[in-house]
Amino acid sequence: MAEQAKSIWRPRSAWAGIVEAGQIGVDGKPGVTALTLDDMGFATLIVPPGSPDLASATKRMIGLDLPKKAFVSLSSTHGVAWAGANHWLLFARQQAGFVDLLQSFSDHAAVSDQSHARAALTVSGPRVREVLAKGAMVDLHSSVFPVGATALTSFAHVHVQFWRTDDGPDGPIFEILVPRSMAGSFWSWFAASAAEFNCRIDRD
Amino acid sequence: MRIACPHCGLRDVQEFVYLGDAAPQRPDGLAATEAAMFEYVYLRDNPRGLLEELWYHGVGCRAWLVVRRDTLTHAIEYVGLAKSRKAGAAA
Amino acid sequence: MRKQLHRLNSGGLIDRTQALCFRFDGKNYDGFAGDTLASALLANGVRLFGRSFKYHRPRGLLSAGPEEPNALVELRTGARREPNTRATVVELFQNLEATSQNRWPSLGFDVLSLNRLAAPALVAGFYYKTFMWPARFWEKLYEPLIRRAAGLGRAAAVEDPDHYDKAFVFCDVLVIGAGPAGLSAAVAAGRSGARVIICDEDFRLGGRLLAERRQIDGRPAADWLAAILAELASLSEVRIMPRTSVFGLYDHGIYGAVERVNDHVAVPPAHQPRQRGWRIYAKRAILAAGALERPIVFPGNDRPGVMLSGAVRAYVNRFGVLPGREAVVFTAGDGGWATVRDLTEAGAHVAAIVDARSEINPESKTMALRVGARLFAGSVVEATHGGQALRSVTVRDASGKRARLACDLLAVSNGWNPTLHLTSHQNGKPVWEETIQSFVPGRLPPGLAVAGSAAGRFTLAEALRDGARLGREAAVEVGFAAAAADPVPATDAETDGLAPVWRVRGNRGKAFVDLQNDVTDKDVELAAREGFRSIEHLKRYTTLGMATDQGKTSNLAGLAIMAEQVGKAICETGTTTFRPPYTPVAIGALAGHHRGKDFRPVRLAPTHDWSREQGAVFVETGQWLRAQYYPKPGEQDWLATINREVLATRSGVGLCDVSTLGKIDIQGSDAAEFLERVYINGWKTLPIGKARYGVMLREDGFVMDDGTTSRLGENHFLMTTTTINAAKVMQHLEFCHQVLWPELDLRMVSVSEQWAQAAVAGPRSREVLRRVVDAKHDISNEAFPYLAAGEITVGGGIPARLFRISFSGELAYELAVPAGYGDAMMHALMAAGEPYGITPYGLDGLNVMRIEKGHAIGTESNGQTTARDLGLGRMMSSKKDFIGRLMAKREALVQADRPSLVGFRPVDTNNRLWAGAHFIGIGRAAKTENDEGYMTSVAYSPNLKHWIGLGFLKNGPTRIGERIQAVDPVRNGEVEVEVCSPIFFDPEGTRLHG
Ligand SMILES: [Zn+2]
Repeated sequence: MAEQAKSIWRPRSAWAGIVEAGQIGVDGKPGVTALTLDDMGFATLIVPPGSPDLASATKRMIGLDLPKKAFVSLSSTHGVAWAGANHWLLFARQQAGFVDLLQSFSDHAAVSDQSHARAALTVSGPRVREVLAKGAMVDLHSSVFPVGATALTSFAHVHVQFWRTDDGPDGPIFEILVPRSMAGSFWSWFAASAAEFNCRIDRD
Repeated sequence: MRIACPHCGLRDVQEFVYLGDAAPQRPDGLAATEAAMFEYVYLRDNPRGLLEELWYHGVGCRAWLVVRRDTLTHAIEYVGLAKSRKAGAAA
Repeated sequence: MRKQLHRLNSGGLIDRTQALCFRFDGKNYDGFAGDTLASALLANGVRLFGRSFKYHRPRGLLSAGPEEPNALVELRTGARREPNTRATVVELFQNLEATSQNRWPSLGFDVLSLNRLAAPALVAGFYYKTFMWPARFWEKLYEPLIRRAAGLGRAAAVEDPDHYDKAFVFCDVLVIGAGPAGLSAAVAAGRSGARVIICDEDFRLGGRLLAERRQIDGRPAADWLAAILAELASLSEVRIMPRTSVFGLYDHGIYGAVERVNDHVAVPPAHQPRQRGWRIYAKRAILAAGALERPIVFPGNDRPGVMLSGAVRAYVNRFGVLPGREAVVFTAGDGGWATVRDLTEAGAHVAAIVDARSEINPESKTMALRVGARLFAGSVVEATHGGQALRSVTVRDASGKRARLACDLLAVSNGWNPTLHLTSHQNGKPVWEETIQSFVPGRLPPGLAVAGSAAGRFTLAEALRDGARLGREAAVEVGFAAAAADPVPATDAETDGLAPVWRVRGNRGKAFVDLQNDVTDKDVELAAREGFRSIEHLKRYTTLGMATDQGKTSNLAGLAIMAEQVGKAICETGTTTFRPPYTPVAIGALAGHHRGKDFRPVRLAPTHDWSREQGAVFVETGQWLRAQYYPKPGEQDWLATINREVLATRSGVGLCDVSTLGKIDIQGSDAAEFLERVYINGWKTLPIGKARYGVMLREDGFVMDDGTTSRLGENHFLMTTTTINAAKVMQHLEFCHQVLWPELDLRMVSVSEQWAQAAVAGPRSREVLRRVVDAKHDISNEAFPYLAAGEITVGGGIPARLFRISFSGELAYELAVPAGYGDAMMHALMAAGEPYGITPYGLDGLNVMRIEKGHAIGTESNGQTTARDLGLGRMMSSKKDFIGRLMAKREALVQADRPSLVGFRPVDTNNRLWAGAHFIGIGRAAKTENDEGYMTSVAYSPNLKHWIGLGFLKNGPTRIGERIQAVDPVRNGEVEVEVCSPIFFDPEGTRLHG
């Protein structure tokens, strides 16, 4: 990445021109908060069925357990989410160093960099489940979708992968990944759905 | 309808793509005959009752599934992975 | 405040401190919070609510609920105007405006009620018979006339300004209906910890308890109701949804519901939806929807003032409204006697009780005496009198003796029908239950139970017992421990004693079976005589049971009269199947957010904003919006723009976004083998660092998609697909891997979203790229020849991929960078290309250039063409098996005269060509048997300065130089064209390799 730092090309956020920091909807205390996540690194890791060494490599390199079912393992800097049979999504909170990390993973899995393929955001707040229920055909109740659960599904006809991180003071927190090309349509739905609860929007 | 994907759990049918009868097996290889291929491509039973079908969880884990469904009541008896079926048959 | 002459001084579940003013047909009225539009109008003495569908007869309120067939109004005005709204379920709000329907010029004086004089022409099936001939009269005369005369309300002619939501919710137990059975069920399930949703279409929960004077555990039912609602509200996993109609039951525990979030206010508060459509996923459901009271068919039964007996009690007890001061009660069971009691207690005089049963019990006789009502046993009402409001009725006793009784209200009681509609949505057939003379739910769909009146168990005691038991059972079935059961509360005694009267014959006036569709008993008889005896035929022939109420008050009577006509029992005659929706649902509530620009997701390329800055006109390509062309100020038209873009590219350099192409990363030791099997051509020999064009077929032998695939490593390929087919190809490849050949070592994932990709085309393209690609990469013709593909860096270290591939036939490259750099890439390429006059071009320019080069895609690969048709037959390898190989060899697909790809140019080069034209031999008639093929793509070639076309022609490649007509009767008729090679421009391909 050292070379890239010299580049005069500036990356553009997947949310650029779509999401602005501020507040939408009714006045009052925000029922929902959305925070766009820029600069995250994402990559798909795929192994042949029964391949054993990705789990140990993941543990060694980022200190996380490779989830066997639809769960996500998280640290403060990295995460790895189940994303289908023999298929995971590796991510880092910052892109710096991610290319090198992918290089070391490539001995253990087929690696495809998806850092620019997803628009990511965190949503939380006391009314967040009510907002997501306007597009999610999966059950978000704690008994079904606990902390650490992930799902590949669609929100309002937009393919997403999302997971639930540790709860915050206002209840559950979800991180949602949207195909970059559909960030605008996703946001149009999310903003319309959240407006009745008052939504605060922060940009990373 | 809802289908219980072995990977993802019970999901709305909107997440799936239907293909049809799971029984026909592709006659692979250069030795395959046109007649066998014709049968594979076009000829299907249309049973009233249980049928094993192929469904694709396109909005989920992208697995191709074998779903045993009653065509009359839509009751689903079994859902498995198409991949393991073929592996099982070969073994 | 205006006086509400029919409002009782006390009582009812209305808030007398909250007066609401509203307008009906331009006149101002007052009502109270808690009123419906119907109850408020009734309180103000309004009896006439509308005109009937066919005969324009005056109509009033029949019911107090969702079954209302008559009192349909247009609610609100302007863009929010909503037709066919049942006044009986419209919650009154401040400044509500409503208009009666189907009358002209006014409700009181309706010109078209003359239809009544022409009534003999309007019998059942009239539109099949009367207006058959002459045909031209239909359009000019009959249809406009019928449209004016018949029909219901008017839809708003402008777009609905409100927002609608759609939402999904999951629960263990769904309870449909919040009457005594539903509330008992919800509390029983909720106490065990189950996630419960209880819906009711009413704005107030309680069901019939709101309308009846009943005792539970020796105290007014209202006390029980308050306690149970408080308990439900205290249970955190119970969700109470008033104003929510469950309208459909679908497979696997899916229920459709519509919540009228803001129908009870004039304009929804900012950011709130008007209505919300719900899809409810329930492990178990309990239908506790109650029952609907049924009318009696007798002459004059549609006159305003004739009302269902239970509705009378609802208006008196729930709304504090007296529907009449001088009443007659016509009953076929004990139900009517409760109305006698409640009316009397409310201060009305019951003039007479007409009981169809000949045996009247002593208590009832005592009651009649006490209230001063004449008692007619074994008698019926055989006529009603009055103009637009009831003034008297004619009663006929068992001996045939008649009496005329003055009254302004006739309450009719004939028993109840279970509201079992939802049980029938999954093919469940209702079954006849002799003891209650009604249909009850038959076989139930999995997971559904039915409680109380909806199951035909009409007493309050049964409702409470059923609800508690089924609620508890449902929770246990989904894994919760049964909560301790309270004893079922005791209720006051209730009797039924019903002997239903299906029809009273008389000779004065029409007897209506279906009030909404103006179907009479005579229409049913006519249908029987004409052979429409099946109940489904009866429905279609007479329209009985159609329209907004779907026969909620008419189906059984229609069936009973038909049974009588054909001499069968009702249960042998059948019942109609109920289908969703149970009640009308606005399309908006089904669509939710997804209308207008949000109809479906739109995909934007990472270069979209750059294209917009460049003034692009966009076009939808599947879900994508792609730049179509980039007009400049002063350009005369679209063609001038395209010509400029094409000429600039061919003479200098052009820039085009191709980010939308599908990109699939394929890795694994069997990746090359896999490509061999899915593409028609060979892949094992493709060197690392090279791209190759590939075509894939469907298994039936027709072309599915095409594109280039590059080998990035020994076991690593990057496939590109067309924009349109990207998802389809991914699905196909997953099918091939998982279903056909799981033994292959293969790992695939879409990376379409990761890369922004641009085509840089034209003789100066290499010079442009040299200024963008980092200097350490040699992109000279020798180092990076045609079809080279490599990983490089650009802009000082940005990882990128470069492909020397060309769609335009020029020296051209495609450069891909991570999507976040897409915008930077376009700006960098524009800056680098400025000295060479770099010109952005869009899909249209691309299309012109590919037609000039004879690249057959898109319209040529239309799902009906083979590789051979496209001139690509020789690409098909004979050394390997691949998808579609055998089926593509079928006799009909390889016949020499099968239309195949050639080019066309107009003989007179001033003529333009049209795609879609068919080829007919010169001098031959434009008939199907002379058809020799069709034109698929056309373009004006600014290089050749005339129109060119691609198309499929029988024996095409052998007919170069021949002339033929391109016939297009809907556009420019016939154009004589010359058959030529599909490659119009640079046929040697020298530019490509430059
Ligand atoms: Zn799945």
